[in-house]
Amino acid sequence: MWDSDATTFRWPWLALALGALVLLLLVLWLRPWRRPSRTGASYVAHAARLQSLPRYRTLVRRQVALGACLTLAALVACTGAVVLAGRLQQRQSMSQEERTRDIVLCLDASGSMAEVDADVLREFRTIISGLRGERIGLTIWSGAAITVFPLTDDYTYVLDQLNAAEKAFASGDVYSDEYAVFTAGTVLDWDVQSQMGDGLASCVQRFDRSDEDRSRAIVLASDNEPIGAGIFTVPDAAAFAREKKVVVHGIAAPATAERPDAAQQFEAAVTSTGGTFSVLGADGSTKAVIDAIASLDAKPIKRPPLVQVLDRPRLGTVVVGVGLAGLVAVWVAQAVLVLRDRRAGERR
Amino acid sequence: MTAHLTRIKSRLAIHAHRKVWGLLEGEYAAIHVGRGIDFNDLREYVRGDDVKDIDWKASARSRQLLVKRYVAERKHTVLLCVSTGRSMAALNDAAVAKRELAVLVSGVLGLLAVQHGDLVALVHGDEHRRHVERPGAGELHLERLLGTVHRAITPDGPHSDLPGLLRHVVRTIRRRTILVVVTDDVTLSEESTLLLRRLTAQHEVLFLTVGDLDPTRREVAGRRLVDVDADAEVPGWLRRDARLRAEFAALVDEEGQRMRRRLDQLGIAHEVVRDHDGAITAVFRLLERHRHARRR
Repeated sequence: MWDSDATTFRWPWLALALGALVLLLLVLWLRPWRRPSRTGASYVAHAARLQSLPRYRTLVRRQVALGACLTLAALVACTGAVVLAGRLQQRQSMSQEERTRDIVLCLDASGSMAEVDADVLREFRTIISGLRGERIGLTIWSGAAITVFPLTDDYTYVLDQLNAAEKAFASGDVYSDEYAVFTAGTVLDWDVQSQMGDGLASCVQRFDRSDEDRSRAIVLASDNEPIGAGIFTVPDAAAFAREKKVVVHGIAAPATAERPDAAQQFEAAVTSTGGTFSVLGADGSTKAVIDAIASLDAKPIKRPPLVQVLDRPRLGTVVVGVGLAGLVAVWVAQAVLVLRDRRAGERR
Repeated sequence: MTAHLTRIKSRLAIHAHRKVWGLLEGEYAAIHVGRGIDFNDLREYVRGDDVKDIDWKASARSRQLLVKRYVAERKHTVLLCVSTGRSMAALNDAAVAKRELAVLVSGVLGLLAVQHGDLVALVHGDEHRRHVERPGAGELHLERLLGTVHRAITPDGPHSDLPGLLRHVVRTIRRRTILVVVTDDVTLSEESTLLLRRLTAQHEVLFLTVGDLDPTRREVAGRRLVDVDADAEVPGWLRRDARLRAEFAALVDEEGQRMRRRLDQLGIAHEVVRDHDGAITAVFRLLERHRHARRR
């Protein structure tokens, strides 16, 4: 998924300067115009006689070969060093498209719903590991809605929060401290409780980035058994959700089935937004919701492509290594020849 | 400029005094420098001869008038012929330059002549210039000649040219001299051989070769050596090789033998001055050899 560009030098000027320096040093070292300096030198005459000796020719040929190899190896090592100094880099870019969905868990925190909420949370916990790019939020409501955590893709945090919520709901004891602490603030007035219309509307408002074209879904768990009157009726809330293009998936508590009117209203509201409706306890109750969420249309989101620049030191290192190995090899060969000659001289 | 002669004298003094003068006497006999009253031979009296010269005793024995003949008293000339090319500026061994050695052997021979009251002349030169210094007597004159030789030898001067120098001697020197050739050539060219043959007819020729430093010697392995002829460095890696050293020694030996054979054929007494310490011995050996050669 990373697209690789051509490798280039990070500091081409440095590579050029070093290359020029190497050339300059080479020229200075060879100095074809140079005459041997006389300082510190002693003169010897008739040394040209050496050139007629067969051993002289052997030695010169050997020296020329060794010198050529040595020079070549040194140049290779220098080239590698220059490449290393220039910092060979490869630019890689990744065009990222995120398919993103926002899901708000919208749980009725009234006492009768505790077990259902625990089930829903458990199911969600298992599928979070399979999510990528989605954002999850959790809102609980009864008479009033509170946000446990807003939409986020920090899954470790989400999992922590879901665990805590599940623990609070799973005790089943609505009078326990844990439950009371977790749901604190959802009941402002004991006469107004379990307002599904208000809860749904609040959850719809939890979606942010309204200017972005994202898939938005609410998993609404409730028994639709309101106490007192709320601000939004259930159909009003459903209409509000439709207006915001939020799909609402409903999970009804088993007890809802005993009240056909409430169940019907719940189902009608949910289906009107394009969501699914299921009753907990029936086969695959939460599974259906999760399948529905999985099939939810994920909108691709364009982000500026990610660019990473990687150093590619391998080429330079290998070249330097080859050069150094060559140098060592030539030196070893030289030492072997010298030792052989010395041994031959001792034998004589 | 330190005096060359002073040093040469001090080196001469190292040798046994008796031996030196003994050699000197022998040398004189050999090279026929007359003492002025040396008896040479008798010949028949012809009109005009001085009556004082008649050897009466001999005339009585042979029943004809005979007059004594003496070798004319004259001063002999020692002609130092020094090849002063740039190769002479090179080293003879690790410490001493060939130049010093050439001055030393020239000086020893010149000093022997001067102390005997003879004249010393000088011919020196290289491929571009040749100079003749007129014969002169006295140590001062010799000192001047040695200084000339010493100055003429420089490492950036022209190359040496022994045939050219010998040709110059043939062309310019009319008188009969004791010709002392001091050179550093390792081979004798055909031309040199011919010229030397020509010179032996006119002169007493003594031939001294100044030896070269062996560039492969261990003593100079750590030093930078520049070939004075080619003006190029003799690389150090080359000079440490034992086999090259052996081959070079064999080559030098062979060249020396060939040269000796050539000069022997010409009947020229010759000696190689290998090092500073053996220089004076070499000169005396040369004189000895020359004396024997003449007595043969």
